[in-house]
Amino acid sequence: MFDYLKNMSLKNLGLSLTVGIGLMSSSAAWSEELQIGAIFPLSGPNAIYGDIFTSAFKLAERHVKEDGLLDGDFSILYEDSQALPQQAVTAMNKMVNVQGLQYVLTAFTGQTKAISPIAKRSQTVIINGGAVGPDLAKLTDYLWNVIPLANTELHGLLPYIVKERGLKSFVLLYVDDPLGDGILDVLNSDLPPLGATLDKTFSVAPTTQQFSGIAASIRNIGPDVVFVASYGDQMIQIVKQLRENGVKAQLASYSAFSTPNLQTLPAAKGALYARQAVNIDSDDNLTTRYLKDYQEEYGKSPSVYATNYYNAVWLYVLLAHELQKQGKEVTGENLLAQRRAMDSFPLVGGTVTFDDTGVLLAPIQVMEIDGEAGKTLSVMSTNN
Amino acid sequence: MLLLQLFVNGIQVGILYALTAVGFSLIFGSTKIFHFAHGATFVIAAYIFQFIYAGLGLHWILAVIVAMMATVSFGLFLNRFVYVPIQRHEGSYFTIFVASFGSVIIVQNLIGIIFGRGFLVIDTPLSRGVEVVDNLLVSPLLGIALLCAVMIFGGLHLVMTRTHVGIALRALSESPELVRTFGLSARRLSVYAFALGSSLVVPAAIFTGATSGLNPTIGYHVMLISLISTIVGGVGSIWGAAIVGLMIGIAENLALWQFDSQWSEAVSFAILFLFIIFRPSGLFGRASVH
Repeated sequence: MFDYLKNMSLKNLGLSLTVGIGLMSSSAAWSEELQIGAIFPLSGPNAIYGDIFTSAFKLAERHVKEDGLLDGDFSILYEDSQALPQQAVTAMNKMVNVQGLQYVLTAFTGQTKAISPIAKRSQTVIINGGAVGPDLAKLTDYLWNVIPLANTELHGLLPYIVKERGLKSFVLLYVDDPLGDGILDVLNSDLPPLGATLDKTFSVAPTTQQFSGIAASIRNIGPDVVFVASYGDQMIQIVKQLRENGVKAQLASYSAFSTPNLQTLPAAKGALYARQAVNIDSDDNLTTRYLKDYQEEYGKSPSVYATNYYNAVWLYVLLAHELQKQGKEVTGENLLAQRRAMDSFPLVGGTVTFDDTGVLLAPIQVMEIDGEAGKTLSVMSTNN
Repeated sequence: MLLLQLFVNGIQVGILYALTAVGFSLIFGSTKIFHFAHGATFVIAAYIFQFIYAGLGLHWILAVIVAMMATVSFGLFLNRFVYVPIQRHEGSYFTIFVASFGSVIIVQNLIGIIFGRGFLVIDTPLSRGVEVVDNLLVSPLLGIALLCAVMIFGGLHLVMTRTHVGIALRALSESPELVRTFGLSARRLSVYAFALGSSLVVPAAIFTGATSGLNPTIGYHVMLISLISTIVGGVGSIWGAAIVGLMIGIAENLALWQFDSQWSEAVSFAILFLFIIFRPSGLFGRASVH
């Protein structure tokens, strides 16, 4: 080998190196791999959410490949967080430091808060389509929310309950984590101006399974409304046990009540909740294809959460496509700059915009669980 | 009235805890195997019952029998193919614990794959509270659970005091060396312990599925209650475990009368710590000198 190099003329060596480097760089350009990450509960008591989110990703991945909008191979890497902050931090470190990802999807308030310092430090975009803790809005510019947060949801729901239904005394049963604490703050600040009161709060650990004692205490207080702020299987346990232990007060919650398991739970019938309004009647190609293919693939209509995460992937595709057109590298910093440069984004349900803190602006629907897809009671614009 | 309601709720929860804990106490007390997979046995029982009863629409008695067969098979399988080989190679107590813990994870994921990872509720009108006196609700399931517990504990008492197997299991719990001296096989006796202990979990799993509902990961909570009941009740005392299980259920509910709901679960640990400090041998255990 060394003898061969010695025998080569300087001119030939230079030519070979130039051609070699050129081939290497052009090959790198053509085989650019665009990977994004997803940190979700794929096991544990909240795995049901992971299933919903993953269904949307798989469809989004398929559509991205079909459309060929991106130069390079596109794929999504998954890590299981069990919805726990510690596991989420480990997963985020791996995705940022080992896999070098620039765009990571996340859910759940606790885990999203836990990984946000890493996102800020490494200038990696994290995008949330499921967590609604109010303080997610101000953590870092690199955290975007394609879902309105609980404060926005409650701004729509609470006036409806108090003014339209005439219910004024509230009891809050909440999980003791950043989400529950956030909702407690919103109720404390929003109820008095409406002329309503928060009479008592019950905080529970995320692992609590027995609520019959709390139900007895709530019955003893006799509130008009029991606001439930939990998630996952615990939410179902709470609703079932409250009703079976004689709590007849109006049940209310945030968008976590929109999961299919709660929609069909007999004990939850009549419960009120708020969620973002998604215009599934929009006739744009993206929406119609998404609805049709989701129905074909999974035999059911997509939930709001599935739509949010589909949109989260699609948002990346739109931004990365623009950056590639401009000849820029797809980095977290450039993605943030590009999002700010673009006013609106055509996503499933129509064209959307973000506010200054990176939270999606969407109308809020007040819904009632009716045993089927839910009944819309009122719709409030985010700008109200 | 609130105090009385909390007490009644506590009895209902406590009976379930007692039924859950007694099986683990029997296995752990007799064999000294830290059978962490007892929680997985609980999950298997609930999901098999639900599948036979609600999924296939068959009679609940048949569903109970099949669930019982499944749990006994699982217990015997673990004993024969996991614990015995580890013991044969003189694996440590900790090795057995890790193997058992691993079994829980495998079962949890298998249940999730086969039956889905959603929430399981055994739907029955029996779990709905009925107002018996002014503002005091009692669910019919409490009466059934109470009757069931009396029958099970009565039957268990007969087995443990009147049959050779029961007496041998008690002897194994007291002194394995003495059992071997009398020519009895500790391995064979552990088979009986696993079969009996695993089958005892079935009623608790069904009642829990009906009252609070469950998911594939509930095994950890089951083990927590079983472990606290066994330690506080006194290792080797199945009656101790049953009584402490009942006590924990009542204490968790009564705590709500004066304390914030967040403290309800901490009551179990407070009881555990108090016993570890002041009576390490447990309520019915005997102190030993090493």
